Amino acid sequence: MNLTYVLKKVISLMFTLLLTAFLVFLAFSVIPGDPVTTMLGTQATPEKVAALREELGLDRPFLIRFVSWMGSFLDGTFGNSYSYHVTVRSMLAGKLPITLTMTCMAFVLILLIAIPLGIFLARNSGSIPDRIMTVVNQTIMAFPPFFSGILLTLFFGLILHLFKPGGYVSYTTSVPRFLGYLILPAVAIALPKAAMATNYLKASVLKEMKKDYVRTAYSRGNTTKGVLYGHVLKNAIIPVITFLGMAFTDMIAGSIIIEQVFSIPGIGRLLISSIANRDYPVVEAIVVLLAFLVILTNFGVDLIYRLVDPRIRSAMEE
Amino acid sequence: MIQFLKLRKNFKAGAVIAGILLFMALLSLFWTPYDPEKMDAAHKLAGLSLAHPMGCDNFGRDILSRVMTGLRTTVVIAVGTVLIGAFFGSIVGSLTGYFGGSFDEIVMRINDVLLAFPAVLLALVMVSLLGGGKYNVILALGIAFVPSFARMVRGEFLRCKDLDYVKNARLQGAGHMRVIFVHILPNVMPVILSSVLIGFNNAVLAEAGMSYLGIGVQPPDASLGRMLSEAQGYLYGAPWYALFPGLILVLLILGVSLMGNE
Amino acid sequence: MMQENRSKEMILEVKDLNIAFHDHTLPETVVVDVDLQVYEGDMLGIVGESGSGKTMTALAINGLLNRHDIQKKGEITYKGVDLLTCARNELRQIQGNDISIIFQEPMTSLDPVQKIGRQVEEPLRLHEKLSEETYKERALEALRLVELPSPEEIYERYPHELSGGQRQRVMIAAAMICKPRILIADEPTTALDVTIQEQIVELLKKLNQNEKTAILFISHDLSLVRKLCSKVAVMKDGYVVEAGDTEEIFRNPRHAYTKELIAAIPAIGVKEYEKKSDEIIVSARNLNSYYPARTGKLFGKRKKVQILKDVSFDLYKGEILGLVGESGCGKSTLSKVLLGMVKDTEGSFVNKDAHPQMVFQDPYGSLNPGKTIGWILQEPLRNFTDLSDTICEEKARNMLKRVGLSEELMDRYPNQLSGGQRQRVCIGAALMAEPGFLIADEPVSALDVHIQEQVLSLLKELHDQIGVSILFISHDLRVVYRVCDRVMIMKEGRIIESGVTDEVFLHPKEEYTRQLLRTSGFLDENVV
Repeated sequence: MNLTYVLKKVISLMFTLLLTAFLVFLAFSVIPGDPVTTMLGTQATPEKVAALREELGLDRPFLIRFVSWMGSFLDGTFGNSYSYHVTVRSMLAGKLPITLTMTCMAFVLILLIAIPLGIFLARNSGSIPDRIMTVVNQTIMAFPPFFSGILLTLFFGLILHLFKPGGYVSYTTSVPRFLGYLILPAVAIALPKAAMATNYLKASVLKEMKKDYVRTAYSRGNTTKGVLYGHVLKNAIIPVITFLGMAFTDMIAGSIIIEQVFSIPGIGRLLISSIANRDYPVVEAIVVLLAFLVILTNFGVDLIYRLVDPRIRSAMEE
Repeated sequence: MIQFLKLRKNFKAGAVIAGILLFMALLSLFWTPYDPEKMDAAHKLAGLSLAHPMGCDNFGRDILSRVMTGLRTTVVIAVGTVLIGAFFGSIVGSLTGYFGGSFDEIVMRINDVLLAFPAVLLALVMVSLLGGGKYNVILALGIAFVPSFARMVRGEFLRCKDLDYVKNARLQGAGHMRVIFVHILPNVMPVILSSVLIGFNNAVLAEAGMSYLGIGVQPPDASLGRMLSEAQGYLYGAPWYALFPGLILVLLILGVSLMGNE
Repeated sequence: MMQENRSKEMILEVKDLNIAFHDHTLPETVVVDVDLQVYEGDMLGIVGESGSGKTMTALAINGLLNRHDIQKKGEITYKGVDLLTCARNELRQIQGNDISIIFQEPMTSLDPVQKIGRQVEEPLRLHEKLSEETYKERALEALRLVELPSPEEIYERYPHELSGGQRQRVMIAAAMICKPRILIADEPTTALDVTIQEQIVELLKKLNQNEKTAILFISHDLSLVRKLCSKVAVMKDGYVVEAGDTEEIFRNPRHAYTKELIAAIPAIGVKEYEKKSDEIIVSARNLNSYYPARTGKLFGKRKKVQILKDVSFDLYKGEILGLVGESGCGKSTLSKVLLGMVKDTEGSFVNKDAHPQMVFQDPYGSLNPGKTIGWILQEPLRNFTDLSDTICEEKARNMLKRVGLSEELMDRYPNQLSGGQRQRVCIGAALMAEPGFLIADEPVSALDVHIQEQVLSLLKELHDQIGVSILFISHDLRVVYRVCDRVMIMKEGRIIESGVTDEVFLHPKEEYTRQLLRTSGFLDENVV
């Protein structure tokens, strides 16, 4: 039973990935403006244009191009860049880990802030700290990450001199300094999400505390702590998991902008420069990769859900 | 009761903030303290003063005037985006949610794939394909917002279509279209409206982010995002240059989200 | 019985208990001056309708009202300790260990994400330090005590994998694992199916006799309490109006309210049956209906669950035909089939009415919340007729009067009306189309008892005036008995018995029908 479920999920996942790739490829094929004209300029002779088209494989039918493009995903080259005449893989090399490290740091930050704070605020609902935090949370949520990034740079870099703006250190040089540089950008993307996650968890705990099983737990002689950590928390976290998954995927997209703010040579910066250069194979590859990341995250969220919530487990298997 | 008053208070505070900003944006159509494009070498990066309450930028342009016009651009784009997203999203969502079946399955599978692209990424790509400019940004963001609206409205329709009053409407002779648009849709409106407010904020964020990256609105249209990106180079000498456009963005988002808090 | 009790030890005493809520400006008193004594091995019933304070009393005894916004006065003494004023940890020693409690909703009273075994063990873990093996052993023992099949398997399950009855047994197992001296059972059978209700009641009886656990049985159902409890306290509006030996109270009720309760236990009178007409409005033959079920297999063919099995019946013009059954038996599916809302159906049915109408159970869900009452009443006319707006409005006003409501309600929205008023509007809206056939699906189950009575009278009165044929669906035999000319009993998708109402109620042929009648308080003589 379990195996068929996983198989079913994996097949559905493959299908989604394929459809995603197809839609991206389609979008880039129907756009107005020929990349060849962009590359050669409008003055190019028709012969030259035709030759380049042939060289890039643009003269082949759409489906053939799609299949060969997908093939380049399987062998890991992701096609060739128009602008630099190298494989997209060599351009991506070393960039994805940077973006992912930053996103994961931000995600850990969210957990570190939201879980204790959410529980604390739920336990002290209506108290003065709760009211203050409600206002603070609401305000933090309104800060666009790139603006908080600028403010953090201003404060920690230019006033406290704890941080050197633009002083990115590659992880090949020094891992601690690499991680140190990523802290502020991670904080910038994590803050609004952490505020939201805190609110969600608090609301979820308060909602669960009103349920019948909580009364049962008290009737057996549990302390409030026992009820909270023994029963409520596991139930309350379930709806928050969805939000955390969404936050993760949002931050992957958000990293594109924040990398620009902190001059981090991650995948986002490559995307922006490739868009500027009209280097479509690179753009396509990055877009597909980011979408794959999002889809895989959602898939992971599904699996975590199944681990945490036995009800979903059996509903999906039957 | 106390809860209710508190919520109303939130709404009022939000409406006041958003109202003032909206007024500023509207006012910029007719009047700004200075011509937002007029450069003045004498006031390059000038600090705050009575004449220039938010200071001046690196070309000596009045930041307040530029913030006002930039805010207008942002609001116009966000409103346009949300209207496109909500309108088409509602139509797709209500039809798929109400009728279900294989039509629903196909549309929703595509919808889910589109949802896998973060809206900003989708818009970014589309704008890079279509080219920048105000209208392309609205179009790109609007299309990027359709899937999430569609999913939300579909969910509401799925919930509503099995309610007794809907079954009753069919028994009382109402056709499918009448049931969808006269019986169900008005009841889904509050949910759509609250999503519109959330969508508005997301659109503001997306537009500002894109302009910050230099991909969104193009000059001469002023934009808060691009002001921030330009200001970053003068952060040390003229922090107000970055501060004011950013704070206005924060206030706009805060005001609208306070209103949306049910 | 009274003598017997005197020799027993009194283990719990409630004295002058007063409970008031303080979450609004005015304190709301829910329990007033309640006195109760529980003796060792007692079976004490507390009877009252919702809002009488019986549940609050129970919660207070278990120490579950320890909130700042609840004001308590009086004493609840257990082993010399006043449970209202003792320290929290002292109270926790008693909770679940000496005094345990089970609730009405076994569906929601268990933690949905924790295994059954762990939940049954919990009270023991909180009160005694034992080895892991012993915990498990004791849990299995408790599961056996409540007669659950294959306890080892149940131990590893989650609540949603069990049926309602099994869940209630699990609740009882957890409540019994510490061998408490008092078990409080707060409406333990109300949410369960009739067959299961009887089993749970039997189980409680057994536990009381074998384990010598005193049981405080709280219920709204006087006949059930009579079957189970030797002593009873009757509560109304927070007061205990009468208390003592159960049989004594039944024979000799002193308080007016008790008399009223006893009088409300149904008795079968002589009901004249006259066939209204020979004309058949709806005729069903061998209806089979299916519901698609998902399978786990990847390419497995779609399974179907059969909901209706060979259902045949005729509905004559102008009669009220009752359809009785428990939730999930297929009653609602049958109504959907008759209205053409279920595609996967075999068999044939003839419906002579072009626009059959329906009155639904939940008056809150069956009126469009975004429209005014006037708009709702006119909707059938807009769709079915070409009448002008003024005539439609006129007709709606008239209908409002006919269902006993004021014309002022025309411009109101459904959420401004009470449940009873809404159900009147629903009936009115259904009759606007002048149907020959009306399905009433549990039309009064969501209403308070005295409102039920009014709505039933209205329905009957309008029926007698108009002569519409009604298929009256209900799980409540008392209601069915009151309004129906003929009745069909449905079980697991089949009609197992049908006939003239009095015939079926007086001489049930099927055991299942008898069970239904017993739990509703009919056929009491068979029980004693």
